[in-house]
Amino acid sequence: MDYYNLLTTCAFIHLLVSIPYAYSNYVENKAGQFFSSGHTNNWAVLVCTSRFWFNYRHVANTLSVYRSVKRLGIPDSHIVLMLADDMACNYRNPKPATVFSHKNMELNVYGDDVEVDYRGYEVTVENFLRVLTGRLPPSTPRSKRLLSDDRSNILIYLTGHGGNGFLKFQDSEEISNMELADAFEQMWQKRRYNELLFIIDTCQGASMYERFYSPNLMALASSQVGEDSLSHQPDLAIGVHLMDKYTFYLLEFLEEVHPASQANMNDLFKVCPQSQCVSTPGHRTDLFQRNPGSVLITDFFGSVRKVEITKDTINLTSSLKPLIQRSGSGDMQIESLTYVDQLPVAEIIHQKPKQKDWHPPDGFILGLWTLILLVFFQTYGIKHLKHIF
Amino acid sequence: MAAPLTLLLIVAVTIRAVLFRSSLAELISARVEVVSPLNAWKRVVEGLALLDLGVSPYSGDVFHETPLMIYLFHFTVDYAEIVFIIADGITALALYLSIQTYNKDVFRKQKYALESDRYSADCLELLRSPKEMFYIPLKVAMFYLLNPFTILSCVAKSTCGLNNAIIALFIFCTLKGSALLSGILLALATYQSIYPLTLFAPALLFFLQRLYIPVNLRRSSFWFFTLQYAFMYVGSLVVITGLSFFLLGSWDFIPSVYGFIFSVPDLTPNIGLFWYFFAEMFEHFRLFFSCVFQINVFFYTIPLSIKLKEHPVFLIFMQIAIISIFKSYPTVGDVALYMAFLPAWSHLYRFLRNIFLVSCVLLACSALFPVLWHLWIYAGSANSNFYYAITLLFNFGQILLVADYFYAYLRREHHLTHGLYLKKKDGTEATLVLK
Repeated sequence: MDYYNLLTTCAFIHLLVSIPYAYSNYVENKAGQFFSSGHTNNWAVLVCTSRFWFNYRHVANTLSVYRSVKRLGIPDSHIVLMLADDMACNYRNPKPATVFSHKNMELNVYGDDVEVDYRGYEVTVENFLRVLTGRLPPSTPRSKRLLSDDRSNILIYLTGHGGNGFLKFQDSEEISNMELADAFEQMWQKRRYNELLFIIDTCQGASMYERFYSPNLMALASSQVGEDSLSHQPDLAIGVHLMDKYTFYLLEFLEEVHPASQANMNDLFKVCPQSQCVSTPGHRTDLFQRNPGSVLITDFFGSVRKVEITKDTINLTSSLKPLIQRSGSGDMQIESLTYVDQLPVAEIIHQKPKQKDWHPPDGFILGLWTLILLVFFQTYGIKHLKHIF
Repeated sequence: MAAPLTLLLIVAVTIRAVLFRSSLAELISARVEVVSPLNAWKRVVEGLALLDLGVSPYSGDVFHETPLMIYLFHFTVDYAEIVFIIADGITALALYLSIQTYNKDVFRKQKYALESDRYSADCLELLRSPKEMFYIPLKVAMFYLLNPFTILSCVAKSTCGLNNAIIALFIFCTLKGSALLSGILLALATYQSIYPLTLFAPALLFFLQRLYIPVNLRRSSFWFFTLQYAFMYVGSLVVITGLSFFLLGSWDFIPSVYGFIFSVPDLTPNIGLFWYFFAEMFEHFRLFFSCVFQINVFFYTIPLSIKLKEHPVFLIFMQIAIISIFKSYPTVGDVALYMAFLPAWSHLYRFLRNIFLVSCVLLACSALFPVLWHLWIYAGSANSNFYYAITLLFNFGQILLVADYFYAYLRREHHLTHGLYLKKKDGTEATLVLK
């Protein structure tokens, strides 16, 4: 009996001692997981490219993704929402100021706090590419800019009508897959993203990510080349189809995700199989450096704040030391990286205007008044001269 | 007559000062009927600001005033309101004095004609007496100063007021008989906007009449005087242009001012006829149509001068009216200038045929201009056709007014020489037709 008691006591004490140790291990594992992605901020660019009332579903698609992304933590200042037409206040909307994603008015994705950054005719290929590459005129407001840096994870969601290799904007122009790939390459070269998730819900959507060649890109599409993406369900009261199938199931999937969720990209790839979607969703991960299984949904759809737990004191030095330059042959000179100033504030705020310092030239004044005097004397005679001299 | 004139001036200055202080001033300065790209005050301020920043004010198609205006406003930009009120006062005074001189002239000629029996017997009621003509100069000044068009133009600080002042001074110097001053002021008026060039012909005719030189193209005396006057005019024009070159040191102002007037690049709607037509014209017809439209202004000079050889002052009135109807950027300030002359022809009232229609059309159109502008631009329920229709109607009313007075004037002259009650060959009453 004593031996048995001693064993249990020892085991109990051992357990007691090891729990904090295991706990700290768990915490460190968690902390390690937090830094596995390498990003510090999240951005989202959500674009609906179709206008007209019968393309209601594209606006509803975009607004559903907007809703999920906002719910998971990305603030409006980090979301660029581009809607090509106004469905909520369209004349044909029987329920004004609403955009529903589920029939029977189950879910209004328009809500009270939707902030549309590019609206109506502002949604053009040029504006979209300018937002991505950051080449906007200095007068563009902050809400219309993608002010991402090299530690940003960006989610780009496009929806609309597309074909093999192109996406139609506003029923009048197109963006090709090559242009999109080049835009992403520009972003990579300007270090405007850390990792980028590209989702597209259009017909033959997989053709849009075929040409990507920049690193750290992951892409999902709702259908393969040669297949059409189909719409989900019409609402008989509103009279149009409310959502596309792929985004509908994507929304259902994202509704289950919360900011602390550990769901990863492999689960996202399984959203909407052919039995539900009729088209075959595709994805592309060869350019992505991490294993998709280790990429959390919230890395792109949410904005999870990183907390670094440390017990050491950190000495904050004033600036990074520039790397030592290799002298001599001059084959490679490494300089510290400088980034393009995205918001040149000093140029936008005008300098103080110069004081008035233009005066008419003296010769002019002299000539003018001499002429006036001459004419005066010519008309009224020389006799006035003697009053002056 | 000094006291009523002073009272009138005081009343006019008061009205303008009151309006300047009220909130209507900004509203009026933005109306397209009152300001045009050529004479808007905000463009003057822009040009002066550009000059202070070290840039030529003519860069960027903002500023279309002449360099002498730059010189004038550089020193008076803070007192602009006073400048425009003084300009209106000068115009009224000049018109008053010139109509006074003209009336004396008319009366003198009438006396000579009566003495030389050139008038027929039964036209006594057509003769003018000093009593009826006594208040005409005051009425002319009143018509100019208290005309709502003039007041609007002054409150909007449109430089049209200054242009009107120069033309009024030119008329005054012409009627006083000073050829040099008249030539210089005409050159100044032409320098400001090119269209007063057509006033050369009536001024020349006036001087020839005054100096008793017959208007005969074969006589050397005619050519002698014409060349003198033309030399004074062209000479002063050249001097003024050269002087403006020295102000800024460049010839930028010529394409900016005169090129702008001729080629009409700015198609902001105004009360003129150019904007609508040129807005919908194809590029390759533009040169042709701008030539056609511009010739229209100058075209009537020669025929009218031939017809109104002996009546140069009436010719001046008609020319000013034609300029303000057909110029490329008319404003209501231009309309106000020739309307000021109407009391001088009040004796023609019995011969005017359409005066009721014309006055109704002009009043209605003036009222409808802001209404249709609002409907077009703000409410969106009308379009530019509505506004252009009113513009067309307004110009039609103006043309009808001028034509009516022309008919009445010529008819009175005809009656004076041929008798008031005209009979056809078979004894029935005849009517006069203007062909």
